[in-house]
Amino acid sequence: MAADAPHPTFEGYAAEPVPQAAVGSPGKDGVLELTFAATSRGTRLVHDYATVPFHVSGTLAHDPHPNAETVFVQSPTGGVAQGDRLDVTVRVDSDAVAHVSTQSSTKVQTMQRNYAGARTALSVGSGGHLDYVPEPTILHEGARYCQELTLELAADATAVVADVVVPGRLARGERFDFERYLSRVHTKGPDGSLFEDATHLAPAESDPTAPGVFGEFAVYGTTFVVAPGRNAAALSDTLHEAASDADSDARAGATELPNDAGVAVRALGDCANAVQTVLHAAWDCARRELLDAPAPVGRKY
Amino acid sequence: MTADATLEAFRLADSFLPVGTYTASYGLEQFVQEGRVSDATDLEALLSTYLERQVGPADLIALRAAHATTREGDVDAACRVDRRLTAVTLAAEFRKSAEQSGERLLSLQRDLREASFLNQYAERVADGDAPSNYAVVLGVVTGLADVDERSACLLCCHGFVTGLLGAAQRLLSLGHTDAQRILDDLRPKMIAAVDASAGRTPDDMMPFAPLIDVITANHERADRRLFMS
Repeated sequence: MAADAPHPTFEGYAAEPVPQAAVGSPGKDGVLELTFAATSRGTRLVHDYATVPFHVSGTLAHDPHPNAETVFVQSPTGGVAQGDRLDVTVRVDSDAVAHVSTQSSTKVQTMQRNYAGARTALSVGSGGHLDYVPEPTILHEGARYCQELTLELAADATAVVADVVVPGRLARGERFDFERYLSRVHTKGPDGSLFEDATHLAPAESDPTAPGVFGEFAVYGTTFVVAPGRNAAALSDTLHEAASDADSDARAGATELPNDAGVAVRALGDCANAVQTVLHAAWDCARRELLDAPAPVGRKY
Repeated sequence: MTADATLEAFRLADSFLPVGTYTASYGLEQFVQEGRVSDATDLEALLSTYLERQVGPADLIALRAAHATTREGDVDAACRVDRRLTAVTLAAEFRKSAEQSGERLLSLQRDLREASFLNQYAERVADGDAPSNYAVVLGVVTGLADVDERSACLLCCHGFVTGLLGAAQRLLSLGHTDAQRILDDLRPKMIAAVDASAGRTPDDMMPFAPLIDVITANHERADRRLFMS
């Protein structure tokens, strides 16, 4: 496998030279590091480092949870381009409560050469909680995007991790015109691997609108409520009801994760808003169960 | 394959095999309930998705790995594959069905044959070290019976499709000829799923069928149902 290929299906792309700035050159290797720690004044962002295309303007204090800290990651660029390799590390130390999101959707631009890749490493210390709920990823025509997310939980730690993918600029009729999208999630608890999930779409190879895959829907999202050993059966029913009752046309369902890791809520809809509404209802419900506080409002402008 | 191995393969592929196939619909019941599957054409299209997105990229990779580790006599590796298949199967009902039918096949085989590998694996299952997924148990059993890996994969696809066709006959008005026609038409899909799983390692297991997951989650909460999954 070529040294830079994250998965065999990306091997051919990795070998292609990038005509503008090369892979790894300044501006192409964005790094984001955020560390949150519990202090006597609640959770504080104690370390942050961001290079283009990431920007951090500081923290926000609107979370309904009294000890929580919020960061909305911004981007001064037009999106993710071919040859980009992004590296995100978010650490939540013991007993801290943090919410990390993006200010706007991540646009993965049209590509002719190579691919764009993102690695995200999330970790939560004992008794801590992280909400990692970025805005949707929009895949433009020809995009090749590979993201790999790892979540590591210490004992008694919990996390909510969400991901929504939009298969094109739907309003201009662009739909499933990207080349390849692979998104993998690996989670680990104190006793080893908990569960893994993958979203793999290559519309030219396999029809994403096949029955049982996306069917009549276009936008797909999942929220993982990772809370090992916290009565997942009851939580699954509660989240399913919250997601089903949300005022949205999206179809959703909650199920217990393997290894008593928590609950997965999956949703499919016609537009990003429909899917986000359902997933926000599930997140809000999970937060009330886990932290005894509602989720922050979804609106960012 | 020897005559003995061939006969063993026929026995394992038969819907007569008492592993509780009649309790599993893998979400099909809810697809029918919602009117998403109402005839043979709908059914065949959905079964294609199961083969391409669920059986091929998860069960068959697990089966191949279990078959190979059984041939090498490595029980630890078989248990790791088993746990990994559970870790990538996010629909709770799918895990339950796969683990129950796997457990039945395991106990059936132990009643029929004396094999130390089977006993060692069964001990690990009893200790909670291995979840006994059907695809993994089938890999172990076929590995011990000298059924070659590719035939074992084809057997698995055939068993899966006949199981769901049996479920469909109880859920829909589907004639026997229609059922046989679907089974016949799906041959290229079964072969494609088996070919696509060749050379893959357990790390490559990536089932992906989100609408099946969503519909199955709704099946978990259905008021009246014939099937466990």
